[in-house]
Amino acid sequence: MIVIVIAGVAAYLAVTPAPTATPGKLNYTDLIVQPSKVESGKPVTVIAELANVGGSNVTETVYLYVNGTAEASKSVTVPPGESLNVTFTITKSAGTYVLSVGPLSKVLTVLPAIKNPDTIIVATIGEPETLDPAWAYDTASGEVIFNVYETLIAFHDGKTDEFDPLLATDWYVSPDGLTYAFKIRTGVKFSNGNPLTPEDVEYSFERAMVQDRDGGPVWMFLEPLLGIDSTREYNLTDPTIAAKVGHMIDDAVESNSTHVVFHLKRPYPPFMAILAQTWSSILDKEWCIEQGDWPGWKDYVQWVKYNNPETPPLQEKMMGTGPFKLDRWEHGVEVVLTRNDNYWREPAKIKTAIIKKVDEWSTRKLMFLSGDADIVYVPRAHIKELEGVPNIRVYKDLPTLMVSPAMFFTFDISSDSPYIGSGKLDGNGIPPNFFSDVNVRKAFAYSFDYDRFIEEALLGEAIRPANPIAKGLPFYWEDAPKYEYNLTLAEEYFKKAWGGEVWEKGFSLTITYNVGNLARKTACEILKYNIESLNPKFKIYIRAVEWPTFLRDMVKSRLPIFLIGWLADYPDPHNFVHPFMHSKGTFAAWQHYSNPEVDELIEEGISTVNATKRAEIYHKLALLYYEDVPSVPLAQPVDRHYERDWVKGWYYNPIYPGVYFYPLSKGY
Amino acid sequence: MGLRGYVIRRVAVLPVVLIGVTLLVFSIAQLFSPEERAALYVTSPKMAEHIEEIIVKYHLNDPLPVQYINWLSQVLSGNLGWSKSVNMPVSKAILTFFPATLELVIFAIPMILIIGVIFGILSAVHKDKAIDHITRFVAIAGWSLPTFWSAIILLSIFYGGFHIFPPGRLSPYFSQVVHSPDFIRYTGMNIIDGLLNGRLDVAWDAFTHLILPDLNLTLVIIALPMRIMRSSMLEALSKEYILAARAKGLSERVVVYKHALRNALIPLVTVAGSLTAGLICGVVITETVFDYYGLGYWAAHAATQLDIPAVLGFTLLVGVVYVVANLVVDILYAYIDPRIRY
Repeated sequence: MIVIVIAGVAAYLAVTPAPTATPGKLNYTDLIVQPSKVESGKPVTVIAELANVGGSNVTETVYLYVNGTAEASKSVTVPPGESLNVTFTITKSAGTYVLSVGPLSKVLTVLPAIKNPDTIIVATIGEPETLDPAWAYDTASGEVIFNVYETLIAFHDGKTDEFDPLLATDWYVSPDGLTYAFKIRTGVKFSNGNPLTPEDVEYSFERAMVQDRDGGPVWMFLEPLLGIDSTREYNLTDPTIAAKVGHMIDDAVESNSTHVVFHLKRPYPPFMAILAQTWSSILDKEWCIEQGDWPGWKDYVQWVKYNNPETPPLQEKMMGTGPFKLDRWEHGVEVVLTRNDNYWREPAKIKTAIIKKVDEWSTRKLMFLSGDADIVYVPRAHIKELEGVPNIRVYKDLPTLMVSPAMFFTFDISSDSPYIGSGKLDGNGIPPNFFSDVNVRKAFAYSFDYDRFIEEALLGEAIRPANPIAKGLPFYWEDAPKYEYNLTLAEEYFKKAWGGEVWEKGFSLTITYNVGNLARKTACEILKYNIESLNPKFKIYIRAVEWPTFLRDMVKSRLPIFLIGWLADYPDPHNFVHPFMHSKGTFAAWQHYSNPEVDELIEEGISTVNATKRAEIYHKLALLYYEDVPSVPLAQPVDRHYERDWVKGWYYNPIYPGVYFYPLSKGY
Repeated sequence: MGLRGYVIRRVAVLPVVLIGVTLLVFSIAQLFSPEERAALYVTSPKMAEHIEEIIVKYHLNDPLPVQYINWLSQVLSGNLGWSKSVNMPVSKAILTFFPATLELVIFAIPMILIIGVIFGILSAVHKDKAIDHITRFVAIAGWSLPTFWSAIILLSIFYGGFHIFPPGRLSPYFSQVVHSPDFIRYTGMNIIDGLLNGRLDVAWDAFTHLILPDLNLTLVIIALPMRIMRSSMLEALSKEYILAARAKGLSERVVVYKHALRNALIPLVTVAGSLTAGLICGVVITETVFDYYGLGYWAAHAATQLDIPAVLGFTLLVGVVYVVANLVVDILYAYIDPRIRY
């Protein structure tokens, strides 16, 4: 840069006629470059201010040098004692330039031309499963849904525990935590012009509970509102029972002309967070019925026909109150959203938002570099390729609400497991209850090199949680005790295990991971290497299996050890301690881990409103988790966000399913 | 029996072929346990909790004949089922992905065949000369290239380097155009629809998106028709009627293009038929790298996720495509070689 400046000045000195010994004297007093940062192809105004401080007219040719080369010139005459502005207008392509006029220099930065200025294009992998908010339980679907539909309340910017009014203007929570009342905003219209009413809100929640598909998100309503996990816990084929459940659903959510009230079966502190997410999207009742969806409470038996359908009723159609409307979902290609110009708030700044499915990384990268994609998903393995690339912006170390992976020990392995060798503690296998001895679990926990795992498998892009209550969740405990890599202690516990038999006879088992998951593969290898180094009689075999096989063996408790992750449904510790620790929780049930004290504390934690008391409960659970070691969390990944530097307004919220387009715009 | 009888007979065999192949696919799918087949619906541990319910819901535990008959009766009533891997009905998936691939192949096949034939002939006529060596070397080099590698290289050079020939099927602007209500989608193939709608700009944009994937296909496949053309041409040129033709004093041009070529084309037509069918059914890698999602991409995804209804729907389509391709080849035989009669 300095060289260029010097070259510019030198060139100036060489070309500009030297001041003659006339009484007139011209000074270059100022150089203005407007704007100093500009988009490629846009005009830049360069103003040189000259003052004649001498006693007679001065005529001079003023040159504008760009990186030392004369680009333009103007001949001017300045009367004595007067000032004159010489203006040049130039356009340049992307790059950095030094502009010099006379002895003065300024830097001009020309940024690449903004492609598609009123469109944001996201290039990513995967695509939505459905656009039906009651069915959708994956982030790709959620990303589309939360830009088109709206909820009663919204997370406040990047926060997960503060809420802003959205379709509700105000709310009231009873001190016992059993009643939630929301005042519904007036003057809001769905994009078809239908006005939003409290009845629509009631319908939306009841419709979700009526639909309640297997493996869907609706358990998050059923648990607090009905005290059940699934409507099919009741025998719905019996009309009397069906009518009873229908009444239960109807009574749980009520509306009048201004308000909607939820009646909870038990206090449920995360309920607010649940209401701020896509499954709580508000639909237009009239429109839904037109689409052939559940018609509402005509009687209390017919609803069963709409329960657990094979395919989502609103698979491809959307009608929300949100800032965008669905233009089209071209399967396998893209989802296109267009601005809702009748939005009840200020309309979005961009006209179109496109979420493109581009599975191949090289293609995605080229699109990003050429500006055809504004935001891009970068797999961790490729982050190095974008280091030092100009005109992009990277947000690093974004904490996720995810424990992934964790290492789970199965306390009672199914006897038909092909992974336990002889099925006995004879050196050629393990007994099915091998991991029921806490010493074995501790020995395994001490044998794992956590730092190396995070460094090698996750390229350092993770932190290590002590227990399932991950960082970013309420009641997170920074200094909670955790197992460190320590082979001496590992050996000690292996010697204690099974009354010394494990150390004496040795064991052999097989760990599996699902094909393609390199992080889990690395974890298996680290464990194998460390444990086998302790005792030549210890044998661990690693086998890669396809996801379907892995899944089958996991749910049938055939895997002695399994590695899998958990992503938050809602930002509350209950959503983590339950699957990890409760005997009926997702993982603990497959592991056959059960501790009545733990179960009781978890139940207490979810039905306690008082935050101080809750903090105590989760503290106790963290300690019990450390003592029992039913599993070991290996990492809580941190994320990155890559965007072109012309994207404005993006912010991170770990619970968002994807990009929220409303605040985004493009410009420099 | 005339040609018409032959065609009718071949078409009549189609249902038998289709039942055979789908039954085979169905049986293979049963080798996976119900839990493995339910994995398609399970993308998170929370969903895995409900795997038993999912198995019941989608009848994954019923005996094979029951499942097949259920599927068959659905198909006969016009319902090909639901493709979970792309979240839409199988029939819609076929209508979505088939035109994309067909468009890709319609332009690729003539390119591959014409270039292949020309260089095959040149190679044969100038056997063991420089042109023969060069074309054979280039063809084999192309054949040996890993498809994904050549695709990425082409994309990096043209799109990454020169900012031309972008991936995908259309630019964002034209994508909006073809999905606007004024644009009638006759075939789902953008070039043809663009021309039919009088939108040359759409057709041109679509064409620029086709160039690289088609170039890639040509590059990696060209060796096949070229070598077949070369060897069959060499064989034809060594026949006695060629000697007779030359003895008559015919020019070499007439000998080669009029007498030898026609006979040499028969093996090429056979290959061209199965090549076309093969490309229609599976250009997975080219489609993936160029972000040009078609049938092969869908089928590969469906298969790896055990999306059985999708695989069966695809199998039906492949059955039809192959039967039609073979039929066309048989008809072309008769056209090329008047001695062949049906």
